[in-house]
Amino acid sequence: MNKKKSSIFSGMLGNNIVLSSLMVVSPVIICGDTLKNAAALVYAFSAITFLSVMISSFVPTKLSYTVKIIIYAIISSFVYIPVKLAAQEFFPGAVERIGIYFPLLAVNSLIIFRSEAELYKLPKDHMIVKLIFYILGFDAVMIATGFVRELFAYGTINGRIVDVNTPVIGLAQPFGGFIFLGLFCGLYRCIRSAVINKKEDIRSDADVSCK
Amino acid sequence: MFLVNDLIALLATNLILTQALGTSTLFIAAGSRKNLVGTAFMITIFTFAGSVSAYLADKLLPEKYSDFKLLIYVISISMLYVIILSALYFISRNNFENSRKYIHLSVFNCAVMGTLLTVSGRASENTSILKYMAAGLEAGTGFIISALILTAAYRKLNSANVPAAFRGFPAMMIYLGIISMAVYSLI
Repeated sequence: MNKKKSSIFSGMLGNNIVLSSLMVVSPVIICGDTLKNAAALVYAFSAITFLSVMISSFVPTKLSYTVKIIIYAIISSFVYIPVKLAAQEFFPGAVERIGIYFPLLAVNSLIIFRSEAELYKLPKDHMIVKLIFYILGFDAVMIATGFVRELFAYGTINGRIVDVNTPVIGLAQPFGGFIFLGLFCGLYRCIRSAVINKKEDIRSDADVSCK
Repeated sequence: MFLVNDLIALLATNLILTQALGTSTLFIAAGSRKNLVGTAFMITIFTFAGSVSAYLADKLLPEKYSDFKLLIYVISISMLYVIILSALYFISRNNFENSRKYIHLSVFNCAVMGTLLTVSGRASENTSILKYMAAGLEAGTGFIISALILTAAYRKLNSANVPAAFRGFPAMMIYLGIISMAVYSLI
């Protein structure tokens, strides 16, 4: 039961869609250079993915894989339209700054492929919780990336100047995004394996004490 | 000299190295020669044929309905998806079983959709269909070049010499970052 529960919540840390599965990495690499961009992407990804997956979950499972994939993509392209219109109201200038990565979020692998392979096989309540944690996982990575890259590339936090002696301007470029995400991914794996090892140790200690 | 110029132009406009489009698919493609050929071939077909539909959509869709552009691109790629799957099924059923995974992997891929959106964003009213098609072909070729660059180091980046936490994806990401930095210096 605990294992089942932890697998539902694992989307945020243990099985993060960006750091673990390398899904939706292009917006993180290219647009995750400031907190403002990160916030706009968080909004767009969360809204498009949640609404699209929820609506797509009503698509009959009996249809063939190809037909289902096409229907999911069409649904998310429809959902993209009101989300974009709302973004123009709440995040003025963000749609232009993010450019092609905004519509690309509508055909992300979580909506099109992961949902079909994993989410729709779960009971509805589990699916919703798991989806929310997947989305939160992306949001956390996006915000952390935006924060660190803005701080070290521009010497600002959300546009406010802070005291950074030597800004690393390259961190705002696509190659900086690649390298940063690679390092972030490695750090994440390091922490994850340390946590798993610790849990294993605790379990084996418990076994010894029981004996 | 022309070849060198063309190669530099291909690198400078490379969708993966400059825009990070299709990165995760690239990692799958670089895994084996078979995957590389299959994925690169399918992505090139989708970007090439998709760019024609992007041209038609851009020319025929009134400006006030530009929000529906993505939907039209998705419908065009979906039609292409069905046509390619059906054609492969009727041509050779044995090949269909082996090759369909590359079609599923390439459709709605960031490299494909990103190409259509980039080509459309760069186009002006006078841009001809040939330029759209050339951009589609360029994107496919760019994917092949990036995949070849990654394939060259794939084994070493996945070897036991790399620390466990960085083995595989993280090391490949850093490697792509370094290549991307070199390409950035050409722009």
